[in-house]
Amino acid sequence: MQTQSLSQNLHLSKDAFFISEFNKYKNKADFVAFKMISETTRDFTARNGKPDQITSFHDVGVLIEIINDGHIGYGSTCEITADGIKKAFEKAQHLTAVSSRFPTARFDLSVRPPSVGQFSSQRQKSLDQIQLAEIFDFLKQTSLKLKVSDKIVNAQSDAMVIECHQKYLSSAGAAFEQDFNIIVSALSATAQDGNETQTRSFHGGRGICQQIGAEFFNLQKSLPYCEETSAQALELLTADNCETTTCDLVLAPDQMLLQIHESIGHPLELDRILGDERNFAGWSFVQPQDFGELQYGSDIMNVVFDPSVSNEMSSYKFDEVGNPAEKKYLIKNGKLMAGLGSLESQYRSEKLFNKKIPGVANSRASSWNRPPIDRMANINLEGGKHTLDQMISEVENGVIMYANRSWSIDDYRRKFQFGCEYGQKIKNGKITATVKNPNYRGITVPFWKNLTALTNPSTVETYGSPYCGKGEPSQIIRVGHSSPYALFKNIEIFGG
Amino acid sequence: MTMQIYLKEFSEKLFQDLKSDEQLGLILHSEESTFIRFNKSLVRQNSTVNQHEITLQFHKDQRFSKMRLNLSLDLNNDLQNARMLLVDARTQLPLIDPHPQFFKLANNGQSEITKKIDRLNDEEIPQLINQVFSDSDLAGLWCSGPMRRASVNSEGQFHFFESDNFFFDYSIYNGPLAAKGYYASEKFNEKDFSTQAQDTKNKLSLLSRPQQKIARGQYKVYLEPMAVAEIVENLAYGSLSQGAYNSGYAPLKKLKNKELLFSEKFDLYEDFNLGYVPLFSSAGEISEPKIELIKKGQLESLLISTETAQEYNLKSNQADASEQARSLTLGSGALKQADALKKLGRGLYLSNLHYINYSDVQTARLTGMTRFACFWVENGEIQGPIQDLRFDESLYNIFGSNLVDLTEESSVYLSTSTYLKRSLGALKVPGALINNFNFTL
Repeated sequence: MQTQSLSQNLHLSKDAFFISEFNKYKNKADFVAFKMISETTRDFTARNGKPDQITSFHDVGVLIEIINDGHIGYGSTCEITADGIKKAFEKAQHLTAVSSRFPTARFDLSVRPPSVGQFSSQRQKSLDQIQLAEIFDFLKQTSLKLKVSDKIVNAQSDAMVIECHQKYLSSAGAAFEQDFNIIVSALSATAQDGNETQTRSFHGGRGICQQIGAEFFNLQKSLPYCEETSAQALELLTADNCETTTCDLVLAPDQMLLQIHESIGHPLELDRILGDERNFAGWSFVQPQDFGELQYGSDIMNVVFDPSVSNEMSSYKFDEVGNPAEKKYLIKNGKLMAGLGSLESQYRSEKLFNKKIPGVANSRASSWNRPPIDRMANINLEGGKHTLDQMISEVENGVIMYANRSWSIDDYRRKFQFGCEYGQKIKNGKITATVKNPNYRGITVPFWKNLTALTNPSTVETYGSPYCGKGEPSQIIRVGHSSPYALFKNIEIFGG
Repeated sequence: MTMQIYLKEFSEKLFQDLKSDEQLGLILHSEESTFIRFNKSLVRQNSTVNQHEITLQFHKDQRFSKMRLNLSLDLNNDLQNARMLLVDARTQLPLIDPHPQFFKLANNGQSEITKKIDRLNDEEIPQLINQVFSDSDLAGLWCSGPMRRASVNSEGQFHFFESDNFFFDYSIYNGPLAAKGYYASEKFNEKDFSTQAQDTKNKLSLLSRPQQKIARGQYKVYLEPMAVAEIVENLAYGSLSQGAYNSGYAPLKKLKNKELLFSEKFDLYEDFNLGYVPLFSSAGEISEPKIELIKKGQLESLLISTETAQEYNLKSNQADASEQARSLTLGSGALKQADALKKLGRGLYLSNLHYINYSDVQTARLTGMTRFACFWVENGEIQGPIQDLRFDESLYNIFGSNLVDLTEESSVYLSTSTYLKRSLGALKVPGALINNFNFTL
């Protein structure tokens, strides 16, 4: 037995105990659900061909959900013993009873559907079959390939290898299990010459996020990416700064992931619109009455919530309270159609506004120790009609920007400023020079209304992030985003 | 059985399995937390968390790895799981190259500190918040409960720190207008709690003055301590790390090379006398109670862990392995807080900043937003709230020649970070008066 997969073994060894404990408590409140998460994360880094981070985390715990008089409360513990579960249940029951005198909402059981089924990430070779030495060899070889010059002061190759198992049982009859194999990887080179330092990575820091098996570690496929990445880092050392002007802007899919995430994903989260996040992550410029009405962007803008895409980071069959997940248009021909709202948020919107805001299956938690809240999953911008060459040929004066390196947006998700690793100037339909420190800024709706072209579906690339932050107490969640290249008109850009 | 006793028993049994050429360090994070989340002064979600993580740092033959697992507090089960990880490490580690940061674990002594505080029962909180803020639209988080850290190793080291604490981090609203509140103390005092609640309500009422439209440009600003904390907190993550510096992430490079200096009024140091974090690092090393980082505007030292010191042949200052600041303090100045508006005269009074990130690391240029109660001031008087503005400004300007003064009074903020788990840590900062702060959108 491999101890690197300790969590997987643990969940199997705890399965019967988990079921018997659930049966012990399932009738002790109006509604009871138990969720067990067991997750093994191996996070390894090679730096300049040598070992750097060699860590693993074997995380197992149970979240208990209780409904008391319509109010939902939670208890969680990693003490997976009879005493540990008893302590967690009693604490949750007591605090939920007290809190249910002052609830934000009184829910009915429609927010906890009795779903039954299972899901597994698509993969050819399960991640528990790959050993530290095999992963390290891949990281060592790729980081050495990145170090093509003495001017590359940091050549780094990372892999986060995640095996996660969820099991959920509820007194309403839900019984489902989901099994995820995920790899998050990064290849980056930092070049330095005197006071000039530039970092270039393969599609951004940890932008490569996939549900995939051990077949990911393919050296033959990865080594050419390393050469290209380092060559561009060195190229940036002598490049001119991006100019400060207003012009056309082409964003590559590895920057669009951030643009979609920050200026579409977060403002459409219904719990933000309902005010839950006001003290921490922020509110939203989107109003309840905007759904079905607001022209969010130009009419070529089509955005979907799609948890059914094979290999994308956040594909699943059910969200974490058992809502069956399916593809849904959030924005259709530029018009806002639906929000990123769980069953709870949809229910609350109906009580508050006498109109249920259309939502999706997105009640998700970072782990067993946090309650589920409204989260993104896979949020994707659909392709258009252009080839990339056609798009560039239509630009008289502009810049194309690749891979995010800096991000900031206000708490209503309006005013943003994003920076990229690598830019290329476009003059009269042709790429003419590399530019360093490319940045741009804008305001969400006017920016998306300036979207004038998208490349075709064959050019769509899929990325993601393991670090979407939100919530009180705070949570990080894994998200996937796919996008074509996109052309925006009249955008403020600037350099370093 | 207390966690201290459990950890002693667990570690003693585990260390017995080690071979003569092996070393093992154990790093504990444990918490028993209550979180109560509010929206509209009502409970949105309540949750409790019992979470005990132990990291096994296994050292052998120039190699080491860190393996973390949760403790179930069933000793046999936990030992079995830990032993499985050690067996695996013995098999796998020899197959990879020696680690450039390898160091031998040492016995850095023993200490056991347990801090209790006087606070309300969690069960009293929903009603308290609902009553005190019955006239307000409040969103926020109550967080409480003990947190534990320990660093134990097979050389005989045993450091244990337990601290109970609580904070209430919140904001209140009048439509889109908002004011931020925060309460934490070593003893819950109903009068103090009510006073700070009233202060926040008073600040919100100032927002009902006429909205001021401010064009982008450069303005003199007064940053309240909580706004200064947002900038200093950004410095704490990576900017002061020697390891990050050597890898090319170096926003303070020009300060280190003395090409640019901060104002002589700027002193930044780790101050463990604040007492909110243990004196020991995750490796169990005890640092000096005060580590000067920037003194009179000049860089004295970055944070250097034993791992980085080993790799680059430097002297460690016992920083944590992450090389993040743990108890950062910005020295105070001569400006009286009561005079802040008068000294500002004409400009922006900023209570809070939000979502700060480097827009250009090489020039230490930060971008971020104003947030919550921020005002336009003329002739030393608040005229009215502003719409949120985006700034883009270099640290070399903010804390360099544009820094007019820092306040005499400082505020201490316990870490409110709860990503994955609760954080120990604190920040002590004054307010700051700054010229020509650059707003871009």
